[in-house]
Amino acid sequence: MPAPESLFWVAAVTIGIWIGIFLYCLSLERRLSKLEEETP
Amino acid sequence: MTKTKKASLALLFLWFCVVIWAAFFYAPKAAGFKGESSRIVFFHVPQAWVAVLAFCVNLVASLRYLRHRNLLDDARAAAAARLGLLFAVLATVSGSLFAKVMWGSFWNWDPREVSIAILLLIYAAYFALRQAVSDPERRGSLAAAYAILAFVTMPFLVFVVPRIYWSLHPDTIISAQGSVKVQMHPRMFQVLVGSLLGFTGLFWWLYSLEVRLSRLRLRREEGGE
Repeated sequence: MPAPESLFWVAAVTIGIWIGIFLYCLSLERRLSKLEEETP
Repeated sequence: MTKTKKASLALLFLWFCVVIWAAFFYAPKAAGFKGESSRIVFFHVPQAWVAVLAFCVNLVASLRYLRHRNLLDDARAAAAARLGLLFAVLATVSGSLFAKVMWGSFWNWDPREVSIAILLLIYAAYFALRQAVSDPERRGSLAAAYAILAFVTMPFLVFVVPRIYWSLHPDTIISAQGSVKVQMHPRMFQVLVGSLLGFTGLFWWLYSLEVRLSRLRLRREEGGE
């Protein structure tokens, strides 16, 4: 297992943040598409 | 969602994963920097670049509004300014983290730090102005006029002032003489370019979400809801 202070953990946290941002934007994208369909 | 959009978003997701991996494991650390602190360049510079790009989009949309008086252009301008402000804050925070590691303090009153702080205040005032006017057309006109004035200050604060005064900030890619002076390791340069492209793609996605939301709001307001 890599040491706690290693770059591996920094990279893992950064990728975690990116996945969070991406999933949040994707959920906004889906909600927006739904609202666009509902609005005349 | 169209197939092209799905493919573009999947590409953006994978692109960033590769860029993050490359920033930590492909690019070497730069000489003369404490520890691994130089790796922040792969995130800090693209954030600053996206802020400048967003303020450019804000200017174009503001000019379009003044010409066509279309409220959607005003909404486009506001969306771009909002994202510009967000990315400028992110660039400031990432720069402060770097400053803490390199120079021992989050804030050093460096010309580049001061100029970005002034720029943040200028664009924060843009939103204060928007909040202060309730009539949409009057708000659009005033905000567009202010956005043009705000944009005039941006190149001075971002590109000119930090180069006039002595600065702690590491030397930039474009030299003071205006010639391109790439002094990075080729691997670092590749990752930086990849990150710039990724952040630009993320900006356009966020911008399109904001604009679609504004269009929806305008359609609902027109429909009397």
